[in-house]
Amino acid sequence: MQFLIETLINSAMASAASALVVVGLALIFGVMRIENFAHGELYMVGAYAAWYFGTSLGGGYAVGFVAAVMVTAMIGVFMEVFLFRRLKENPMGPLIVTIGVLLVLQTAAAWLFGVNSNLLVDSPFAGAASIAGINVPWHRLFVIGAAIVLLGGLTVLLRTTKFGWALRAVAQDKDAARLQGISIGAISLLAMALSAGLAGAAGALMAPIVRISPYMGQPIIITAFIVIILGGIGSLEGAILAAIIYSTFFTFISAYFDSTVASIAGLCLMLLVLVVKPSGLMGKAQKV
Amino acid sequence: MIELRNLAVHYGRVAAVHDVSLTFEHGINCIIGSNGAGKSTLMRAISGLVRPSSGSILFEGEPIENLSAKAIVERGIAHVPEGRHVFPELTVDENLKIGAYLRRDSAAVKRDYDKICSVFPRLAERRKQFANTLSGGEQQMLAIGRAIMAAPKLVLMDEPSMGLSPVMVGAMAEVIKSINAEGKSVLLVEQNANVALSLSSDAAVLEQGRISLRGKAADMKDDEHVRVAYIGV
Repeated sequence: MQFLIETLINSAMASAASALVVVGLALIFGVMRIENFAHGELYMVGAYAAWYFGTSLGGGYAVGFVAAVMVTAMIGVFMEVFLFRRLKENPMGPLIVTIGVLLVLQTAAAWLFGVNSNLLVDSPFAGAASIAGINVPWHRLFVIGAAIVLLGGLTVLLRTTKFGWALRAVAQDKDAARLQGISIGAISLLAMALSAGLAGAAGALMAPIVRISPYMGQPIIITAFIVIILGGIGSLEGAILAAIIYSTFFTFISAYFDSTVASIAGLCLMLLVLVVKPSGLMGKAQKV
Repeated sequence: MIELRNLAVHYGRVAAVHDVSLTFEHGINCIIGSNGAGKSTLMRAISGLVRPSSGSILFEGEPIENLSAKAIVERGIAHVPEGRHVFPELTVDENLKIGAYLRRDSAAVKRDYDKICSVFPRLAERRKQFANTLSGGEQQMLAIGRAIMAAPKLVLMDEPSMGLSPVMVGAMAEVIKSINAEGKSVLLVEQNANVALSLSSDAAVLEQGRISLRGKAADMKDDEHVRVAYIGV
C-alpha cells in the first residue's frame, strides 16, 4: 500500500515535468510545423541555469528558476530569429538545425561544467511531508503544484488573450491568420520563447531531484516524442493527457518491474494507440 | 479606389496573372472568370499574401504591392478567402474578435461585434461553438463577419456563393448590398456571374490570367460571350 501511494506520487511528479516539456514541443509543432529536437537540451540548460544562478552564484532557488526560464526563452528566441526564420523556404532546414543546436548545447554544457558533474541544487522546500505514513519530499509536491499553475496559466493565456487567439489562429490556418493582420514572425517568436521557457522551467523544477548532466535531455526528448505521437501531433490537450497517461504507465512499470521493461512497454502502448487510433488520442486526421 | 497597373504574378516560373490593368471605383464591382483563371491569385496579390512579380497595386492612390499583409489590413482592405477559411478550432466569438486583431478602439469594436450579431443571429446563437461545427453557409457568414470586424474600406470576397444553396446565395447578396450601404466597397470575384453581375456596377472578365472584357456590369449581362461562358443561357 505504501509502495503504491509512493509510486502514485512519483507518477504525478513525472507527469507534471513531462507535461511541461511536451506542451512546448507540441506548441512549436503546431505553430511552426517544426520538430524541435533540441527541446530536451533546453530542459537540460534549464537545470544548469538553476544550478549556476541559484547555487553557484548563490542567488537562491527562486533566482535560479527565473534565470532558467529567461536563459532558455532567450535561446528559443535566438533559434527563431537566427535559424528558423532564415530557413523558412527549406523543408529539411529547421529539422537539421535543431539537431545542430542539440549538439552545440550538449557540448557547451560538457565543456563548461564537465561530463561527470555532481552539481547539487538545493530545494527551498527541504524535508518531507507525511502522507498516510509515507514520507513525500516537499519538493516533489512543489513540482506537481508548479506544473499545474504553469499549465493553467498557459491555458488562460491561449483561451482568453488576444495573443492566445492569434497563436491558435496561426496554428490552424496561416494564410487566414495573415489576412487578419497577424504577423507570423512575431507570433513564432513569442511561441518559441514560451515553449523554450516552459522546458527551462521543467529543468529548473527537476534540478533538485535528478542528476544534472549534459545528456539529461536525451531520455526526455525521446519520451516527449512518444507522448506527442500518443496524444495526437499538434494537440496541446492531447499532449498533456498523453504525458499523464504515459508517465503514470512508465513509472508504475518501472516501480514494479524495471525501467527497461517500462521503455519497451511504453513503446508498445504507443503502437497500440496508433493501431486503434492512428491520429493519436486527441489528434485529428489530416486532410491532404 | 483600387487600381492594378500591369500586374503580373508568378508561381515559380508559371505565370498565374499576366499584365492586368484595372481600376475600380467605390461601390460593388466584380471580376468574373472560370476556375483557374487567376482570380484568387489576383485577390491574394492585393492582400499581400503573394508578391506580384511586376506591376503595381494602388489603393486610394498609394502603392501597396510591397506592403506586408498586416500593413494592408491596416490600410483598410479585408479579404474573405475562397473556401471561407474560418479558424476551425476557434469559437465563433473568437473568430469574430480576431478579425479586429489590429484595432485598438475597443468601444467601436464592441459596436461592430454587436452589429454583426444582430445581422447574423445564427452566429450569435452559436457564439461559444467551434467554427467547425457550423454549416457551410454559416461559415461563410462568419468569414464575412470576421472581415467586417477589421473595419475595412474595401472588402475582397473570393467566391462567396461557392457551395451555397440558392436560398443562401440570395441571403449572401443581401449581405453584400448591406455592407456596401454602410459605405464599404466590395470587390467580388465569382464564377457565378449571374449574381455577381446583378450586384455590381463595373465588371471585368479574367481569362487565363488576362483581362478579356471590361465594362458596366449591366452591359456585360447582355454580352454574347459572357452569357455563353459564365451565365449559361
